[in-house]
Amino acid sequence: MNWKAIARSAIGTSHENQGIVCQDYGDYRIFQDVIIVGAVADGAGSAKHSDVGAKLAVETVLKCFSDINESPQKEEELEPGYSKGLSKEEADKLFATIVKKAIAKLHEQAAKENYSVNDLACTLLVFLATPDWFAAMQIGDGFIVMRSQESEYQLLFQPDKGEFANETTFITSANAVKEMQVKVISEKQEFICASTDGLEKVAIRLSDWEPFSPFFKPLEEYLHEPVTGEEKDKYLMEFLNSERLNSRTDDDKTLLLCFFDRE
Amino acid sequence: MPVGLPEFVENPENRCPVILLLDTSGSMSGQPIQELNRGLAAFKEDVLKDSQASLSVEVAMITFGSIAKLIQDFVTIDQFTPPVLEVDGLTPMGAAIEYALDFLENRKQTYKDNGILYYRPWVFLITDGAPTDSWDSAAQRLREAEAQSRLSFFAVGVKDADMNILKQISPPERPPVMLNGLDFREMFVWLSASMKRVSSGKVGQAVALPAMGWGQISS
Repeated sequence: MNWKAIARSAIGTSHENQGIVCQDYGDYRIFQDVIIVGAVADGAGSAKHSDVGAKLAVETVLKCFSDINESPQKEEELEPGYSKGLSKEEADKLFATIVKKAIAKLHEQAAKENYSVNDLACTLLVFLATPDWFAAMQIGDGFIVMRSQESEYQLLFQPDKGEFANETTFITSANAVKEMQVKVISEKQEFICASTDGLEKVAIRLSDWEPFSPFFKPLEEYLHEPVTGEEKDKYLMEFLNSERLNSRTDDDKTLLLCFFDRE
Repeated sequence: MPVGLPEFVENPENRCPVILLLDTSGSMSGQPIQELNRGLAAFKEDVLKDSQASLSVEVAMITFGSIAKLIQDFVTIDQFTPPVLEVDGLTPMGAAIEYALDFLENRKQTYKDNGILYYRPWVFLITDGAPTDSWDSAAQRLREAEAQSRLSFFAVGVKDADMNILKQISPPERPPVMLNGLDFREMFVWLSASMKRVSSGKVGQAVALPAMGWGQISS
């Protein structure tokens, strides 16, 4: 019984053409073999150092969870919910604490480098999954799709978009914590995919926000395969950099994929 | 590895709507209307050079001469046939603005009903005169819509246009522009360049518009 996971980002063609770096970032940690924490962030196109912001936000979140995992008080912070799952209130509180730490870290970085915190603007999606339950948060756009045992792919949150196609919330926005969406699902998850909005229009049917299963199924099968190392990396990077994908989206793309192997 | 590749769902393109509100009153006759017609053709030609923009930019046209009327429902640029406009009558600008505002809200509803994402719409008004109907309530609605970020309004005055009234209609942050002579072509190429930038805009990006080489901001 263990989690298999991979996180990769690839630059969008529009960023490449403009000489901008990839502003997406995604990573994960696995604790005690059975708890996985993942985070992805999409740096705002208009923010000068949003690539730094996205990476710092993700790393801060993951560091917070490692600290909790290692702290002697972990019994109080995480463990009560470990087997039975966090309540919605507990999850709200946990994610708010962690997001505030990430925001504080961005402010610290901005002060150190002498630029505005808005130069680090990014979205943020975080999830925490055990073999028995799943909790997640989202600020801004991007998506988390998962599949519980014996069921179909499910989009966790409708992306937080403004009325127009180019509006969203960032963790540096004044209303970020208030706009944060949180959900707890007390079902056994088999597959989790967290992604930035670069893949949204190829993976989600936007008219009813239905995940497109022919997009997710091969990714789930891929994680299932007993392949590691270079070959594992190759499949995902080739896909993310493929002409076929780039002809459909010119934005940065991130896939953070997890599969729980119950065997 | 015996694993297939992800397949993609077909979603409609994001739309970037623009309504052209065109003065076709009698005073536009002769060279002004001819240049305006040429400008519209140049607009199509220029947007088409950008394959993304030609699928995203949607244009509708409302003329105001003898009456305010819709002469072109929203179409993407590849489907747009530049019209040959003819002049007639007065300048019912107030009615045309009201028409545009209602029409735009309907269009947004259509987008929403079909799961189409859209950018902030532009309403682009061109006139060489002054309204001959009541325009106060239209102007108020327009400024409210602008203040609530529901649209972006641009007014362009040609020749003897009443810039003072255009200024009262326009949002304070975007005063009307006086066209250089009859250089509609340059203006429409600018509109096209602006639409290309908007329609490729990334999330949360404030789009910087190209410099207006075709007119003077009236202050």
